[in-house]
Amino acid sequence: MLVSTVILYFYVRGLLQEEVEEELYSTEARIESVLKEKGPPYTLPPIVEIESVAAPGPEILKDTVLFDPSQDEMEDFRELTTYKNIQGKIYRITVRNLIVESEDILIAIVISYLIIIFLVFISLFYFNRAINKKIWDPFFKNLEQMKRFSLASEKEIQLLDSDILEFTELNKEIITLTEKVRSDYKNLKQFTEDVSHEMQTPLAIIQAKIENVINENTLNENQYEQFTSIQKDIKRLTQLNKRLTLLTKIDNRQFGNVEKVRITNLVKDSVQNFSEPFPVSIEYASHNEIIVSMDPYLAEILCSNLISNAIKHTKTREAIKIRAEGRTLTITNQGEEAIKHPDQLYSRFYRESSKTNSTGLGLAIVKKICDLYGYKISYDYKEGWHIFEIKFI
Amino acid sequence: MKILIAEDEIALQHSICTYLEKDGNVCETASDFEEATYKVSLYDYDVIVLDINLLTGSGLDVLKTIKNERKRAGVVIISANNSLTDKLEGLDLGADDYITKPFHLAELNSRIKAVLRRGKFGGDEMIIFNEIKIDTKSRTVYSNDTLIALTRKEYDLLLFFITNKGRVLSKEIIAEHLWGDDSDLLDNFDFIYVHINNLRKKLTKEGASYIKTAYGSGYKFIED
Repeated sequence: MLVSTVILYFYVRGLLQEEVEEELYSTEARIESVLKEKGPPYTLPPIVEIESVAAPGPEILKDTVLFDPSQDEMEDFRELTTYKNIQGKIYRITVRNLIVESEDILIAIVISYLIIIFLVFISLFYFNRAINKKIWDPFFKNLEQMKRFSLASEKEIQLLDSDILEFTELNKEIITLTEKVRSDYKNLKQFTEDVSHEMQTPLAIIQAKIENVINENTLNENQYEQFTSIQKDIKRLTQLNKRLTLLTKIDNRQFGNVEKVRITNLVKDSVQNFSEPFPVSIEYASHNEIIVSMDPYLAEILCSNLISNAIKHTKTREAIKIRAEGRTLTITNQGEEAIKHPDQLYSRFYRESSKTNSTGLGLAIVKKICDLYGYKISYDYKEGWHIFEIKFI
Repeated sequence: MKILIAEDEIALQHSICTYLEKDGNVCETASDFEEATYKVSLYDYDVIVLDINLLTGSGLDVLKTIKNERKRAGVVIISANNSLTDKLEGLDLGADDYITKPFHLAELNSRIKAVLRRGKFGGDEMIIFNEIKIDTKSRTVYSNDTLIALTRKEYDLLLFFITNKGRVLSKEIIAEHLWGDDSDLLDNFDFIYVHINNLRKKLTKEGASYIKTAYGSGYKFIED
């Protein structure tokens, strides 16, 4: 660009100069013929000056800067001075012509270049944009599809076809990939379900056999204790199994049954159910009803898991306090110290105490249910109280 | 009572039979879908214990056969699947109860007895054990025609004891029967003592002391 500007500048300047010189020569020739015919010279400074001189001199062609009264400024001129002998008199004829200043040429070139570049840029910009839009449109639509792609949903990914080979290939690979991921995920899901399912029957057999052995009345007390201990472990396994299956099912969004559920009533029922066998008192205060739209079965699990968690971890005989206010359910129980790793509170199998009657899944399930419906659950520890708060929003 | 056990796991089938036969019930078994379908359409049973996942077919289809042929048998479904939809489907098709594996035989027994009691299968709403008479419809208990006032849990406890009379019942089994899954929250089952002692006292006051301790920490409802 720069080089072409420089070349163009010199070329245009050369051309103009040549033109000016030609004009100077022709003007000079005309003056000469006028002088021959009419005699007395006239001048028109600074363009034409004719003077009689004593001796002839050499012909001079040069650039000069003169004051131009008509323009009222200094101007560049090309000047041709010749000496002619006409009818015995020697005249010095000086012809000048305004030449375009180099600056002006340069500016003209640069401006026209700029205009051209600008126009080209603008038209290319719109042209490219139109083309790109057309070319990339399927790509962005497919990208949107991929963002929305969810493993849990049964739907296949739907991609737009494109004329562009690379995109078609990309689409093909994406479809293959998602199909593979989906089938792997499905297998894994099936596996989890199958495992917990298949475990139930052997457990049932062990359970039944133990019960029959106990009823044969041939055991001693020690053997009986051993057997009831085995039964407790079977119970633990069963609970573990049930909760893992539940977690998987929530993950797989198998609870699509949404109804209006009165959380406050559920809590009341849970409190009643728990108050009998447990030696803890539960204070329940509900300022208003909380009604939410969710799966009634999950709602029940949510309430009972939160309350049972409080019962399990309450350290003193102080009452467990449950309060429903606005859209918030708060459950507090006393504990000696804050949870050491609150960030892991909802992780599967995270336990702070080594109590064996905990599966370590209760709060993970609570969190899963909250996540499923977008409820906010928070944990806080204040002055010896563990506080769980759920905002039903 | 004549009971059919349709269960493909032979070991479980035997254990259930052993437990139920102690009460003088007659147990027949079916080990696969074909045998179960064949037996339910050919013979009459009082109760059919039906596994949903039979080796060669679904227990739910056997249930349909039972209902299509207008058999009067009560049906208790046993399933390894703890899903609510399965349960509802089974109950919708006309099953009388649904129990998930693994279960306590005492629990299964009490469910079977409850199904029989509901009357429509020729059972009796009254349970009589010596001088004790339980009216399951009004949930009242009499001893020699004297009303014994029991709490809800004490009543459930007595019913559980009587339906499993002669069997050893551990505190865990009793707790699970009375409080379901929540019972696993408990560190110890001492609170069971309270309920059992209260029931015992109320019965003993009327001269009916049938609740005995077995193996130190279990219980047994038995005649002297």
